[in-house]
Amino acid sequence: MALLEVKHLTKRWPTGRVALDDVSFEVKEGEILGLLGHNGAGKSTIMGITLGMVRPDQGEVRIGGRSVQKDRAGALRQIGAIYEAASFYDYLTGWQNLRVFCSLSGWWDETEVKRVVQLVNLTRAIHQKASTYSHGMRQRLALAQALLPEPRLLLLDEPTDGLDPEGIREFRELILHLRKHHGLTIMLNSHLLVEVEQMCDRCVIIKDGHKVFEGAVPSQEKTRRMFQLETTDLGLAREVMERAGARMDKHGIVEVPLSMEPHELVAALVRGGVPVTSWQPHRRTLEELYMGLSSKS
Amino acid sequence: MMLFFQQWSGELLKLFARRRTYIGFGVFIALELLIFWLVQVKGMGPIQQAILGSGENVDHYFSALTVGMIVVSLSVFFLGALYLTLVAGDIVAKEGEDGHLRLLLARPVSRFRVLLLKYLTCTGYAFFLIQFLAWTAFLLGIILRGWGGGFCATVPELEILAFYDWGHGVQKYATAMAGLGVAMTSISSLAFFFSCFPIKPAAATITALSYVLVDFILRTSGFMESYQHLLITRHMGFWGRLLAETPDWPLLLRGLAVVLATNVSLFALGYAVFESRDLKS
Repeated sequence: MALLEVKHLTKRWPTGRVALDDVSFEVKEGEILGLLGHNGAGKSTIMGITLGMVRPDQGEVRIGGRSVQKDRAGALRQIGAIYEAASFYDYLTGWQNLRVFCSLSGWWDETEVKRVVQLVNLTRAIHQKASTYSHGMRQRLALAQALLPEPRLLLLDEPTDGLDPEGIREFRELILHLRKHHGLTIMLNSHLLVEVEQMCDRCVIIKDGHKVFEGAVPSQEKTRRMFQLETTDLGLAREVMERAGARMDKHGIVEVPLSMEPHELVAALVRGGVPVTSWQPHRRTLEELYMGLSSKS
Repeated sequence: MMLFFQQWSGELLKLFARRRTYIGFGVFIALELLIFWLVQVKGMGPIQQAILGSGENVDHYFSALTVGMIVVSLSVFFLGALYLTLVAGDIVAKEGEDGHLRLLLARPVSRFRVLLLKYLTCTGYAFFLIQFLAWTAFLLGIILRGWGGGFCATVPELEILAFYDWGHGVQKYATAMAGLGVAMTSISSLAFFFSCFPIKPAAATITALSYVLVDFILRTSGFMESYQHLLITRHMGFWGRLLAETPDWPLLLRGLAVVLATNVSLFALGYAVFESRDLKS
């Protein structure tokens, strides 16, 4: 069941530039969806429309069946978000910052707040002023405020931007933990392909305001059978492949049809006199997909 | 209603946790002390002469209340508009500039509610600041002139000079200060209105301050004699009428009504501007 439905979003800025052009997709309950695209592609605009901070010219966003454009409060009650760079009141402590943000939801439960603070590993610093926080601590505080009180859907806009490698890893593990142990549905907006590849089940790629791809993250694909062939005679190999009903690209990446087993294809190659020097499973990377889509357009 | 107060508590926490808020109070206290020192060293010739000219006893009427009123009037004249526009000019624009609005509005709360909380905070603050000034001036007046005596109420602009005994004087002083507090909310409303535009906080403050200054200059220059009713600082002067022995109630209420209507209009216009904005960097 779709928890977040993005329907035919179109947005044109006052300058005339098209930010989004008829973009639609869904985020199913319990999944992590990555929203990918270059800077200025329209990812943050989708996030802004989802939070009711940007008004679409056409289309709507529904969260748990409630339209953000018609019932913003009702829809937003189900989500927590980090939208663009998280900014806190530096003169307040982390705890006071959480209090300010939670007060707008009309909610405050010290036990629950302490639990979330512990979850994001900020217990020791929570009573320090936010001005003393490192970038990583700010991101964790941002995540804590997004998790209060108990959202069903988490929207994360470039959450690891500016973090060091340890911080990125820590944040990634935290996000995966939230999905696994708290059943959270997450929409992650990023231009870091590795981040999306490691965290997300599916991704949507946006390019210049258009959706150019929606589907499983390649590393998560289970149905496709791709192999890397290494040989000194690619021409002969291609001929044998075609006869066997398989396809191979110019880099020697072979897609084995479902009608045959991979070892049968290798046997056919050897029988056909192809000098096979190496045959190993090939996993298509998100980068290949992304760059392929970029070069197409 | 509980939800509203819970939300407002967050807004108040932000305001009163800021060091700048207290620096403001400190600066006003310093200004009051300076004026008191001048009163003590130089005396208040014109006021004393006005009391003498009315055939009253200077020692009796140059009391804590009289001195307090003079000090409050001068403090508000010199710093009131500046400080209130600083606070109200920041209240939305600074949050937008710093990116706090993006986190605040990711919550299930309407823009109207967020703005209303901010508006009540900055106008409430204006009222509270004036009461703080009024009663610290009164306290300092007691230290300087002692308890008791009369109250010579002077509002030269409105040509009010009235004499009261201590009890009645305290009552008049308290009422007038409450009126002044309400009047000053118009300045906060103006700065709040500009703060709703996508501009820098300093720009909102300067624009509001400039408006008030120009309005005040036009009012006092006589150049706009026939258009006085269009000047907000004229209507803000309604509080002075509370000091008269027999206030001119129709004029007073008209001033109050214009001030309140201006406040509501500025809030509504500010909201319309804010509501139409796309909040994205």
